[in-house]
Amino acid sequence: MRQVVPLVKARDDAIFGSKAVGLGQAAREGLPLPPGVALSGSIVEAVAAGEERAIRKVTKSVLTLSVPLAVRSSAVDEDGAEASFAGQHLTLLNVPSTEGLTAALREVWWSANSDSAITYRQRVGLFHRPSVGVVVQSLLDPESAGVMFTQNPVTGEDERLIEASWGLGEAVVAGLVIPDHYRVARSGEVLERTPGLKKIAIRALPQGGTVEEDVPAELRESLCLDDDRLEELNRLAGRCEQVYGPGRDIEWAFAGGTLYLLQCRAVTTAGA
Amino acid sequence: MAGAPADALRRVPLFADLSKREVEQVARRFKERRFAAGETVAREGSGGAAFFLIDSGEARVSVGGAERATLQAGDYFGEIALIDEGARTATITASTELVCYGLTLWEFRPLVQENGVVGWKLLQSLAKKLRAAEQV
Repeated sequence: MRQVVPLVKARDDAIFGSKAVGLGQAAREGLPLPPGVALSGSIVEAVAAGEERAIRKVTKSVLTLSVPLAVRSSAVDEDGAEASFAGQHLTLLNVPSTEGLTAALREVWWSANSDSAITYRQRVGLFHRPSVGVVVQSLLDPESAGVMFTQNPVTGEDERLIEASWGLGEAVVAGLVIPDHYRVARSGEVLERTPGLKKIAIRALPQGGTVEEDVPAELRESLCLDDDRLEELNRLAGRCEQVYGPGRDIEWAFAGGTLYLLQCRAVTTAGA
Repeated sequence: MAGAPADALRRVPLFADLSKREVEQVARRFKERRFAAGETVAREGSGGAAFFLIDSGEARVSVGGAERATLQAGDYFGEIALIDEGARTATITASTELVCYGLTLWEFRPLVQENGVVGWKLLQSLAKKLRAAEQV
């Protein structure tokens, strides 16, 4: 089905993929998401094939989103696919205009049909035609961002484990910095705050793409998060557990002073 | 238009003997893919996901690190790994910005199975490559 829907209406894994449906559930529960839409696997393929009608439909659907856009793949109809295909399917963080969206979607589609993705599929026994949905959201320009486990995945302690850095959270996810490390009790008590060494911050470029920007020397070993922000993250962790259940792996960002949820998934071995 | 331009396909020996309607049907199955200069398009030993037809730009072909050929507009590559589902037999690197039209293995096989003319041309092309390899 060639569908584009606001995230809040993304309900079917087999059409939109698990990432889109997870974000759809967050939107329905009122969790703080950047605005966005979900594209079905079949409309992504139609756009990749250059079909004008599909391109017009997708372009129209994102007109209300502020640019730049973040374009994230959402693997369709495969158990545990998001975890399995982490690193195989593409995410394009800074698509500067709606006109650039067609090329971005084509790249995402090809990432699921690349030599490396096919080799991986052969190895893990998923050798069948891939379908890749897409989530398109407004890209934030965060002051700080990172990841949070709602329970400590290493020790199993009932505490939030938070890693944070300046700029976009991909610096943390990709291991490009030594992030700040925090442990926060469910009660909100801060149990540990250890500054990292954050030499670079990933920022969006006006013409598209991202850049690794040098962090000023005085900020490299300064904590990104104060107690108020840690308390906000603790509350977000609690809300995510109410919605999805315990043991969540969360990506988050503070932009313009507001906390946003970017992704929430079950803790997996790969995630831990 | 969707897929690859039919005119581009008609210039390719593999599809040259198809009727206008058949070429248009085949063209619709292709999707554009762009590679930056210096980008690896296919890596020797990796699994193969797609067959590519070059629309513009140039690419180098190397085997075991030794450069073997240059590909340009109208040339195609990637069919061998799709036929035997084996590894890529050569590394292809974009020498310039490269615009290709690609057909994934999920579409390549039914195309060949359903179209004897394309299948025959493919056999001729493979036989030619086999002779060339025997003479090396």
